[in-house]
Amino acid sequence: MADIYTAVVDIAHAPLDVSAALDFVSDPRFGGIATFIGRVRQHNLGRTVTGVSYDLFEPLAVRTFQAIGERARQEVGGPMKLYIAHAKGHLQIGDLAVVIAAATPHRDEAFRACRLAIEAVKHEAPIWKQEHYVDGDSAWSEGCSLCEEHRDAELAAAKQGGNKHGHGH
Amino acid sequence: MMLRITLFGALRDADARGFIELDVPDHSTVAQVREAMQHYVREHALTISPNLIQRSAFASEEEILHNHRQIPGNGVLAILPPVSGG
Repeated sequence: MADIYTAVVDIAHAPLDVSAALDFVSDPRFGGIATFIGRVRQHNLGRTVTGVSYDLFEPLAVRTFQAIGERARQEVGGPMKLYIAHAKGHLQIGDLAVVIAAATPHRDEAFRACRLAIEAVKHEAPIWKQEHYVDGDSAWSEGCSLCEEHRDAELAAAKQGGNKHGHGH
Repeated sequence: MMLRITLFGALRDADARGFIELDVPDHSTVAQVREAMQHYVREHALTISPNLIQRSAFASEEEILHNHRQIPGNGVLAILPPVSGG
């Protein structure tokens, strides 16, 4: 759809571009733009991080982004433009990992669409983050299962524990 | 049929080529492939926990394939460990 833009960006070729996201969603119909920008941070779970690597199953990731966009459109129930881009490859501290921008006539729908999109990207898209630490060690981040049996069990456990996501991200 | 399973994330440690090949009966279900994959890692990739295979999903380039689904006719699958994007 012309009002939903999705991309996987190889960081070796170009960084994510916030200006491009704002340009894409800007439209005379829309008075509200909400953005989420995810950056690589220096510490996680008490360890000093020097960088991260993102691995993606790119064809399914892009399809998932598109499906998320359609769901956001349903959530908004009116005109909306949405931009979703995620980085792949090796990123340094401060590099942009994900950029989402949602534009709608008013702020409430823009915030809701943006929040829906980032939560869905984090929990549903086939993307894996490997953290690299100052001591030379590396570890893949614990994540969300896409396997239906485990996904149901994790959601049930999260509800019982009062934790919306069942883990720390 | 020979099934080629592409690896991602922590499961890349199962084979440096980025995929493994399993000989499975034609028309196998994803559940049967999961069992075969668990057997494979017990034999050939001891650093991979069978529990990680249990928590992983299988997919084509188009969609997640749950346990009851048959494997694609082209013999190509991906195994997706728990995801951690963003």
